[in-house]
Amino acid sequence: MSDGVKTILFATGLCLVCSLLLTMAATGLKAFQRENALVDRQKNILQAVGAVESGRSYPADAIKALYQSSIQCISIDDEGQVLSAKAAPKKVLPLYLYRADGQVKAYIIPVDSRGLWGRIYGYLALDTDGSTITGFSVYQHSETPGLGGEIENQWFQRNFVGKQIIDAEGNFVSIKIAKGAVEDAVRQDLKPNYVDGISGATMTGKFLSQGLEDILQTYEPVSVHFRNQGMLKLPENALVCQPPS
Amino acid sequence: MSTALVKITRTETYRTVSDALWQNNPISKQVLGICSSLAVTVQMNTAIVMALALTAVVACSNLIISLMRKMIPRNIRIIVEVAVIATLVIIADEVLKAFMYNISKQLSVFVGLIITNCIVMGRAETFAMSNPPLKSFVDGMANGIGYGSILVGVSFFRELLGSGKILGFPVVPQALYDMGYMDMGLMLLAPGAFIVIGLFVWLEHAILNR
Repeated sequence: MSDGVKTILFATGLCLVCSLLLTMAATGLKAFQRENALVDRQKNILQAVGAVESGRSYPADAIKALYQSSIQCISIDDEGQVLSAKAAPKKVLPLYLYRADGQVKAYIIPVDSRGLWGRIYGYLALDTDGSTITGFSVYQHSETPGLGGEIENQWFQRNFVGKQIIDAEGNFVSIKIAKGAVEDAVRQDLKPNYVDGISGATMTGKFLSQGLEDILQTYEPVSVHFRNQGMLKLPENALVCQPPS
Repeated sequence: MSTALVKITRTETYRTVSDALWQNNPISKQVLGICSSLAVTVQMNTAIVMALALTAVVACSNLIISLMRKMIPRNIRIIVEVAVIATLVIIADEVLKAFMYNISKQLSVFVGLIITNCIVMGRAETFAMSNPPLKSFVDGMANGIGYGSILVGVSFFRELLGSGKILGFPVVPQALYDMGYMDMGLMLLAPGAFIVIGLFVWLEHAILNR
């Protein structure tokens, strides 16, 4: 057998063994990883409303129990009406409600935005006044660690708390990420609508601003309802939302 | 007692480990693997998990490559080494994702980047290709421990000075903060790691040269 053939045979054999091992690892561990991802998403929802602290670790059971008792996921249509299980709607949007002491304290919008290197997934929580942000969290992204990756850090997410998605006249303006610190980069009257940007991550900020605006625009009917009439009317058998897979 | 100590210090295993830990440490002496040692040393628990992951990968890759060293065709040996290392790294990453999800999220790309860590490739190419399996395995372990020792050392100082904690537990008393003590923000950033690693290198050279 010539050397060339031997080399090719060896390479083929090695590739087969490696791919077999990788397949085994990936399929064997999938159940655990999925469970972890689910708990992580629940933790991020709770984090967006401030029910758990970011950067601290909690036992999975505690997260699940807290989620069960305080978060309700309902489905709405694109006009902001809560759907009941009987309705057969065309377009369904998931919406989470946060309850504490028997009161709805906030509603949470799932965020799915473009980033510089991939999608950014997270949650944006708004107060029941329909305009004040109570928190923002990110559970999955592919931005560069240390630059755009800072979006998953506490200091960045904490900036969102208390910001407004409407201007002084009550018109929808969304929330935007400034280029630099809000203090220096933004006009006085726009400050409530901007959060501090990340240096070295201008593009991530630009895409995330756009993504947040699109999503808030989609959910604007719900926010308008909260602003004008308060809490949404929940039908007896509200359609449970489909959690993203 | 002393004869037993002499016997231990004369074994080859001891010499391999002490060499990798001290005289020939991959980070402080050979200045390899700096990228990850800057990135994952903000907290001690990420540093420890990273050190364990790298030790497992370099020890196993050394063992496997040493077992195959007589069969590997010379002209594709680097590719074979990379394939073996990459497979091991991906398995390590999957295991972390399944059982240590939070830490794996904090380590993010740096587990995957073990593939490009010069220490792993370097040991495979210079040692495992020309030494028997057991010796290569010990060499891999020793280099992993050498790398880990610096990682844990650096992260100890960064976590203590940067956030006043050790392994996540607050150790700086509140009274000190009340008196005006402040955590050193620099230690949380990459330049802090550069400075600490530099001090480690200096300390080691100073002691060795004496």
